[in-house]
Amino acid sequence: MPVDTTTADIGSPSSPDKPEPRFLENVAKIFRGHPAAICGLIGISIFIFLAIFAPLIAPQDPYDQTRLDILDGLLPPGSTLGDGTTSLLGTDALGRDILSAVLYGLRISLFVALVAVIVGSAIGVFMGLLAAMKGGWVETVIMRTVDLKMSFPGILLALMVLAIFGTGIDKVIIALIIGAWASEARLVRAVALSELKKDYIHAAQLAGLSDWRIMGRFLFPNSISPVLVVLPMSISSAIGAEATLSFLGVGVPITEPSLGLLIANGNDYILSGKWWISIFPGLVLVGMVLCINVVADRLRDHANPYLRGKE
Amino acid sequence: MTDQLVHVENLTVAYPMADGAVFRAIDGFSMAVKRGQIVGVVGESGAGKSTIGKATLGLLDENAVIDTGGVMLDEVMVTRLEEHAFADIRGSKVGYIYQNPMTALNPVLTIGEQLIEAIEANTNKRGQDARAYAIDLLEQAEVPLPEERLSKYPHQLSGGLCQRIVFAIAISAKPDLIIADEPTTALDVTVQKAVLGTLVKLTRQENIAIILITHDMGVVAEMCDYVYVLRHGKLVEEGSTAQVLSNPSEPYSRELMAAIPRIDHKIERFAVPGGLGKAEDRERAIDYLMSRKADAGVEGAPLLSVKNLSKTFTMKATALKAATDFKAVSDINFDVFPGETLGIVGESGSGKSTVGKMILGLHKPDPGYEITYKGHNIDDLTSKAQKLAHRQSLQCIFQDPYSSLNPRMTAGDNITYALRAHGVLSRAQALELSGDLMELVGLPRASARKMPHAFSGGERQRIGIARALSFRPDFIFCDEPTSALDVTVQAELLNLMKDLQDQLGLTLLFVSHDLAVVRQMCDRVMVMRSGEAVEIGACDKVLVAPEHEYTLGLLAAMPRFRPEEVA
Amino acid sequence: MLSFVTKRLGQSAVLVLIMSALVFVGMYVVSDPVAVLAGEDFTEEDRLALAQELGVDRPLFLQYLSFLGNVLQGDFGTSFVYNRPVMDLILERLPATLEVAFFAMFIGLVVGIPLGVYSGLNQKKRSTKAISFFTTVGYSIPNFWQGVLLIMLFSVWFKVLPASGRGDTVDVFGVGWSVFSLDGLSHLMLPALNLAIYTICLQARLARSGTQEVMYQDYMTFARAKGISRERIIRRHLVRNILIPIVTITGLQLGGLIAFATVTETVFSWPGIGKLLLDSIHNSDRPVVVAYLILITLMFVTINFVVDVLYALLDPRIRYT
Repeated sequence: MPVDTTTADIGSPSSPDKPEPRFLENVAKIFRGHPAAICGLIGISIFIFLAIFAPLIAPQDPYDQTRLDILDGLLPPGSTLGDGTTSLLGTDALGRDILSAVLYGLRISLFVALVAVIVGSAIGVFMGLLAAMKGGWVETVIMRTVDLKMSFPGILLALMVLAIFGTGIDKVIIALIIGAWASEARLVRAVALSELKKDYIHAAQLAGLSDWRIMGRFLFPNSISPVLVVLPMSISSAIGAEATLSFLGVGVPITEPSLGLLIANGNDYILSGKWWISIFPGLVLVGMVLCINVVADRLRDHANPYLRGKE
Repeated sequence: MTDQLVHVENLTVAYPMADGAVFRAIDGFSMAVKRGQIVGVVGESGAGKSTIGKATLGLLDENAVIDTGGVMLDEVMVTRLEEHAFADIRGSKVGYIYQNPMTALNPVLTIGEQLIEAIEANTNKRGQDARAYAIDLLEQAEVPLPEERLSKYPHQLSGGLCQRIVFAIAISAKPDLIIADEPTTALDVTVQKAVLGTLVKLTRQENIAIILITHDMGVVAEMCDYVYVLRHGKLVEEGSTAQVLSNPSEPYSRELMAAIPRIDHKIERFAVPGGLGKAEDRERAIDYLMSRKADAGVEGAPLLSVKNLSKTFTMKATALKAATDFKAVSDINFDVFPGETLGIVGESGSGKSTVGKMILGLHKPDPGYEITYKGHNIDDLTSKAQKLAHRQSLQCIFQDPYSSLNPRMTAGDNITYALRAHGVLSRAQALELSGDLMELVGLPRASARKMPHAFSGGERQRIGIARALSFRPDFIFCDEPTSALDVTVQAELLNLMKDLQDQLGLTLLFVSHDLAVVRQMCDRVMVMRSGEAVEIGACDKVLVAPEHEYTLGLLAAMPRFRPEEVA
Repeated sequence: MLSFVTKRLGQSAVLVLIMSALVFVGMYVVSDPVAVLAGEDFTEEDRLALAQELGVDRPLFLQYLSFLGNVLQGDFGTSFVYNRPVMDLILERLPATLEVAFFAMFIGLVVGIPLGVYSGLNQKKRSTKAISFFTTVGYSIPNFWQGVLLIMLFSVWFKVLPASGRGDTVDVFGVGWSVFSLDGLSHLMLPALNLAIYTICLQARLARSGTQEVMYQDYMTFARAKGISRERIIRRHLVRNILIPIVTITGLQLGGLIAFATVTETVFSWPGIGKLLLDSIHNSDRPVVVAYLILITLMFVTINFVVDVLYALLDPRIRYT
């Protein structure tokens, strides 16, 4: 810090007409001068675009069994298929075009991860705020449940849920939600507890505002930023977790293959040198997770007070 | 060996800012320190005082640039040295005393490890010799039971003791110079007095010079031979302490001296500039505030009466310790009469803020208490409406301006959100009221649209006052409202509070650790120590001729700012 | 200290009890074992007989109690698939899992922490940027795909390391270990590396952020002002402070490694308990799944307990309050 901080009055004097910084300006400020993070942002946009428009972009509908020809099976990238089209990334054992399968797989992987993280985080944020605000037995019940969950690695918990309830997209999402909410709840509670000690909360109590209003208008907006900072990281780990579960054969069904399941399907052919079936979905998976993580790192560094202003 | 020890010549230290601009923390500053001399560097926050000390020791942040000039120490240009060359200077020639002793010591190393490593780095004593010398140093620094302390960790000792250990570290190699950066700001006033006494004794013994960096004129008056006044990185004035304090020649220094609250006599208002807002808006705000239901109870009776107020906090059990009870407040009784200001003074941990928070209802007192407000026992209030009216009739001005406003609401919403949420005001009415109140507390109406981070600490406190006023309260609890502020800002704010009290007939409970501020603001005062009231009475009596020896001790420990006596 | 230990032990016992109940209810009630085991030609009487044989016709609470009673005697029942006591199956395979997990942990700590401290101290160097790039990439590649890549590189293309199995083992204390034979070690390399890469990245990132945080503390500046050497500041003031969070994380990480071993063991056909779990899930071998989950809960609870005690012992702020 270039100024001494013995007393607190270092804020700039006010100028009445200076507009508040806009959201986009803030985003630009976070990413300016960090080319890797900008690449990550662009990468994420491309992946999202491909996922949304997969049916329009993909050369083939990989779910349409009638259009698959077993004679096209296991062709390397660039081969010409029976119907005269070129398969850019090769085909799998059933003659399915890898590019199409990857695009559809991307769609499923992203969908599962996003739904799980958004629902899981929402539950976690609510539980964390509730625990902090109410205290007492409400807090005890919530936090002991969190402890119970946190004493297990997520992957094991997900395996357990899937072993009990069986597999399927909905089951995977439930398993991931169960894995996601607890850490968010713990994070939010910690932040909310420190916010609750601050005087603006006391002022709201002196104003006679109800607990729910204080939670909604005072506590929530001031406790949410750490969750937003870790959100990309949560998404990328949810993508990884879904892929892992599907790879292990307990995730999404074979009729709706995600990237992880595509990799698993190709895994059997690796030892015989047919690498493309497994490698291309893997590259897309890693590419996407990497892009998100690079952005997530930047957000986290930006939020870290020890690094802020030191760069 | 010449008499001249330090020579700062035209020093400019700049920091590149994120937006490409350059911030000059210190700008063309020169000073000289002779051997054995105690020189004060004073200024408010943002004056760049700490930068001088850090530049001398090569401890500036990595991105700092020395634009012009430098620091000569004993004929060595230290500002040009490489990092490794500082080994001969840090600790051995220059000792450093940090602002907050609790954070300056490493929490996971023992006192002994930290003291002995400094001794071994800067003297030729090793092993048992170093240990014996460490004990000797602690004795000199007046640390009781020195041998036992060596195996303790910092968090096991008080702030005052930690600062004495920092002193011992700083003088271990008998340096020529000690840079003391706000050495007592984190300490209570009685501790400050003793600790500064030790520092002077230690340095006089060895003829060590001190550069004392501080914002506290009282400390300067008592300690320094010569003083430099800084503002925004630039030198405003220099001279002997007597001359600068009693007869400052520059306008800023004059304003600074005028803003310092005096313990010896009460003045009507501080002689600092303070603009109030547009008269028309102000009048409208006052009309609104005066329209509150006049319900002060019986004539001549106290507005607030507190009996048998106690508070016990239970410390939660930790890994290695069972739960313990801590009595923060025990058996406090007092009355506050309409329109008066009752002060509560005490050192940190005396329970003075807890008293106010219990009256406000933010803490639940131990059973057996009785709080009467406007003639009613507050626990007899039953209906929701009664409770709400009572809640809003008692308001608070908080200590820390940086946490007292909701950072996610505009200044205006901070002031009127609750009234709108309760359905008292429409959106348009709320907008008008917040603007009027902003003008009343001396802020432009238009700035109600801005978020809290755009305001300075003093301005935020003003918004906090406006928020408290919006409920048309009869009683305001002021919880050290100016302790986080610079002295000139404090003076402006205290003036404002006096103006508002005169206009609105408010009743104030004013908590402070600063006796001089209490003297200026309060009619009566209660002195607290460790949760108990030791004395209560009129300020003119308690703060002039106290009966209790604790109050006497507090008064004696206060650094005196009496320029006429220095001169 | 003693009351803390007993309290934590009590909490751990409750945790294990809750988990065992959840697992039991989940595995034996939510999905009906009779439906799974019964053949298609089973009549209603056959089903009843089977239910009686399995003991699932009794009230749920009694079923759980008798299950718990058996478990306390070390009896987790008999595997449907292997037709052997579950406890034997698990004990046979446990050493393989522990071997690969500890080996990976060792590599992770020895490589990860120095990398992290180095990059925390030298934030602007190019080597730091390279380290942070590699840790981000390593962190981003899902564990199983790393395994696939390792097999492709070292087994398919370079043909230097075997892709599956444990190889020769050497008996020590009556248990076979791969690490003591050359062939075994070569089999251990890939699975251990697979688990270690993630650990290295995680430890490096943690050590880096810990270092950065400690670096800007007042006591670090004060230590410099005292005139002690940079090397000593790092060795004593810095490392002692970041060691506390690292010990905590390492404990939890060990649990994570054992959990993630399920993935690695599947990829490399490493005959540990993780692979046993997955095979059992696929084969609906419920007694094995239940036993695995309860034993692993016990293991985690123990690890968490040790970490808590260590944490309290390491940090003087907690030790002396």
